[in-house]
Amino acid sequence: MISFFNPLLLLGILGAGIPIIIHLINKKKAISHKFAAIDFILQTEKRISVKFKLRQLILLILRTCLIIFLAIALARPFLKNFGGGVAEKNTPTSNVIIIDNSYSMQYADSHETLFTYAKNTAREIINNLTKDDEAAVITCSNKTLPVIPELDYDKKHLLDFVEQLQPGFATTSVTPALDAAIEILTSAKTPVKRIFLITDLTRNGWDVQWFRSGNEKLRNHVSRIHIIDLSGGKPLKNIAITHLEPKLELSERNGEGNIQVTVSNFSSAPVRNLMAQVFIDQKKVTQGFFNMDAHGSETKEFSFTLEKGKDHSGWIEIPGDNLTVDNKRYFTIHATNKINVLLVDGDPKTNIYESETFYLEKALNPGREHSSPIKPTVCSIQEINNILFANFSIIFLCNVETIPYEKIRELETFVKDGGAVIFSLGNKVDANYYNTSLSEFLPHRLHTTRTFSGNSPLSEEQPLSLKPAEPIHPVLRILSEADRTALSSAKFYRIFYVDPKVQGMSKTILSFSDETPAFIERQIERGRCILFTSTMDRDWTDMPIKPFFLPLVQQLCRYLSGGAGEEGQNEIIVKQEWQSPCPYDMEKIEITNPEGTKTIVQPQLTNNEKSFLYSETYMPGFYAITIDGKPHPQFPSYFPVNLDTVESNLDKIEQKELTALMGGINVTITTSRESEGREVLLGEARKTLWGTILFLTLCILCIESFISRK
Amino acid sequence: MPENPFDPVTLSKIANMELRARLVVDGVLSGIHKSPFKGSSIEFLEHKEYSPGNEIKHIDWKVHARTDKYYIKEFEEETNLKCYIFIDTSGSMGYKSTGISKLEYASTLAASLSYLLLNQSDLVGMVSFGDKIVQYIPPRSRITHLHVLLNTLTTLKTGGKSNISGILNEFVEKIGRRSLVIIISDFLDDIKKIIHQLKYFQVKKNEIILFHILDPYELTFPFETITYFESIEDDRRILAEPKAIKERYLAELNRYLEQFKQSCLENRIDYWLINTTTALDQSLIKFLARRESASRPFHKG
Repeated sequence: MISFFNPLLLLGILGAGIPIIIHLINKKKAISHKFAAIDFILQTEKRISVKFKLRQLILLILRTCLIIFLAIALARPFLKNFGGGVAEKNTPTSNVIIIDNSYSMQYADSHETLFTYAKNTAREIINNLTKDDEAAVITCSNKTLPVIPELDYDKKHLLDFVEQLQPGFATTSVTPALDAAIEILTSAKTPVKRIFLITDLTRNGWDVQWFRSGNEKLRNHVSRIHIIDLSGGKPLKNIAITHLEPKLELSERNGEGNIQVTVSNFSSAPVRNLMAQVFIDQKKVTQGFFNMDAHGSETKEFSFTLEKGKDHSGWIEIPGDNLTVDNKRYFTIHATNKINVLLVDGDPKTNIYESETFYLEKALNPGREHSSPIKPTVCSIQEINNILFANFSIIFLCNVETIPYEKIRELETFVKDGGAVIFSLGNKVDANYYNTSLSEFLPHRLHTTRTFSGNSPLSEEQPLSLKPAEPIHPVLRILSEADRTALSSAKFYRIFYVDPKVQGMSKTILSFSDETPAFIERQIERGRCILFTSTMDRDWTDMPIKPFFLPLVQQLCRYLSGGAGEEGQNEIIVKQEWQSPCPYDMEKIEITNPEGTKTIVQPQLTNNEKSFLYSETYMPGFYAITIDGKPHPQFPSYFPVNLDTVESNLDKIEQKELTALMGGINVTITTSRESEGREVLLGEARKTLWGTILFLTLCILCIESFISRK
Repeated sequence: MPENPFDPVTLSKIANMELRARLVVDGVLSGIHKSPFKGSSIEFLEHKEYSPGNEIKHIDWKVHARTDKYYIKEFEEETNLKCYIFIDTSGSMGYKSTGISKLEYASTLAASLSYLLLNQSDLVGMVSFGDKIVQYIPPRSRITHLHVLLNTLTTLKTGGKSNISGILNEFVEKIGRRSLVIIISDFLDDIKKIIHQLKYFQVKKNEIILFHILDPYELTFPFETITYFESIEDDRRILAEPKAIKERYLAELNRYLEQFKQSCLENRIDYWLINTTTALDQSLIKFLARRESASRPFHKG
């Protein structure tokens, strides 16, 4: 039975009418001429007319055949099941076509990408199926995407799906795809079950361990595996940016940006003077040259100046090669100002160690001034009138007895504009004053103090300790497990009880061992207030001298300033999940991918923690985070997503190795990118005819030109 | 450069046939001393027994010496040359590729010859024919007869098939002895039949001159593109690729011409093949010059 790889091209046979039409037109166009000596023409014609007409007829037939044969040859005919003797002959088959859509398939030769070849191959396979054959199409990047998860008889349906396939940005993962294929074929009722794997055969996609158990499954459920290596069996060379680490050093005016870049050469030839360019905020800021030996890599640092107070996005780029997608890598740097924190000491002492804010200041800025992203400023309550709150991001009011009325109003504006205020209590705090004058800030009304055992002879009970409130507040996420456990090591001898009734939108961050709130957060418009029901010095607790105190207060500041001060966002890899803690009052954020597709992300509760999870990181680039269309101070403006560089290494798995892995399985491997090589594979018992027809066409052309010139 | 007044095309522009003939003949005669056409003067016919009243000068004394009887020689009436010009007006004579048609050329040639002959007081008659006789003008020698001939030539129209042998057959009895028979035609007919008929004229000692008029396209077949060739005389039509048949056509034509010429030569018929692009004076000069230098029909080579 004759079939065609490109049956649409058979329409070209219609072109056979052209010579006939031309013949008829020429005949019509023949001019008339009245001629006296027509007898001689007739005599001549008698002799040559038959020859002439025969010649014309032969030429017409040859020209018609030429077009018909050419159209047939282009449609690439073949004899199906020609002298085969293969099991599949005349037997319905079930087929799963696995198309490797990992980013290495974007490798392009001078004509097309491997992925385009893969799609063409899939089309050929589908076109070769008979009406009794069924097929499914799946992809095999690191997350197997079943395009047609069920076997389908409708070729058009299958072809439409193949047409819609796009190359991905993930890594190859053959074995899950094989698992999926086995699952699909298990339900098939046909006697012949085949898997077509169309791939570049890069080594990284093959999980050798899987074959220990997978081999048996393949043997039991699959009649034959056809592997089509689109790389043509040749090694593929590639140069890629394999690592990128941005850093930021803060100075008073501008930030010093620094990026460490590793470029790897995945080819057997050395690479010299490869230029890498660094772009920040769409502008080229620096460049450098890489020299790499064969299969080597080089790491370089690029430095640049960043304007403080804003987020910066950038990328590094190397010149294009056959695989361009891994020649660019993205990063963001959050070069915001240092967090200015005002510490209002309500109980300053001559002896500095006894001052209310001593431990707090040290915890916020433990070393040299410029080494911490937090810049604390200490003042007494008397000095508060000379200070403008707007110059600070966070204000600690530590054991403050009273606050001037004007400053309370200023504090109100400060908080509503996005500032944060933390009230820590102490012996100078009057609950009535706080409950009346500062009630708009407090998450709970203050009640009375209570003293526990310890140094105080008045104590009746054991001192309290701290424990995280459920769910875990984002502030505590940075604390290690050890630090979280260590929370219980702090002893609280005296605390303020608060009214159970919550004021406004409040949330407990930490509570005492008796379940009374210790750190309580309240959202007030764009700002926050935190009430700590004990002291920040050692008067009522030993917490300031505990190891977790420093990370706790620093993280508290970072959290309250919207995450500012972090050196950079951890790199997200394509298809990795992006996660960010959810402020308790936030209901949704919007994430816009590099193609401009906006996704509304709602918080999810995982491990007792409310977080935003976004898993649609299908492509590299910058993903914008917005709330109601605008950036939010609690989130970076963007997060970068980059490729997994494992896929950049295009080293191939050897055919011998592959055959060994699939021992006992009926495997055919073809390395041809062009169809003729695959035809043997596709048809098993199939004879191609187009070569012969093309030869015949050429012969006809020669005969035609010989006869027409004669 | 002034136009050659004897160019067939130039001549065809001269509407008056007499003027055409005069132009040609005067030009031709200026180069020839005397007429090459020689009519019979006194021709012996038979012996007749003398009877009183006969002129004594006509007694053949040699016969008397042998037989001792008086016989007188009887002679034919002494006349000038009697010429019959047969002009073919069949459809094929109307063919013209460029310049003038074969009939126009033939008419001018006939007019020129008539003028030439009448000028030397010969008798000139004319027959125009296609598949039958269109017009017959008996021979006369008066110069006014020229106008009759020329008027006839001017009004000739082509039509019908050519039937030369049939026409000649009709005239075998009509034409007397020792006449000059000039046939102007394209002879696209059965030449065997024509030659066969001409032999009857020869028996009567008539001199025959054939002017074979052909168009240059008929002689060279210069067509390029695929063409429907249509017969002028009937409704035959054929599609042919000229390039393909040219060689064969020319071979057929040449074979025919050669055969015709050979037949004429064998039968002592004066044969002239004329291309309608040949200047008429040149055709005549060559023709007359050769006739003058030859006592018998000269065949153009």
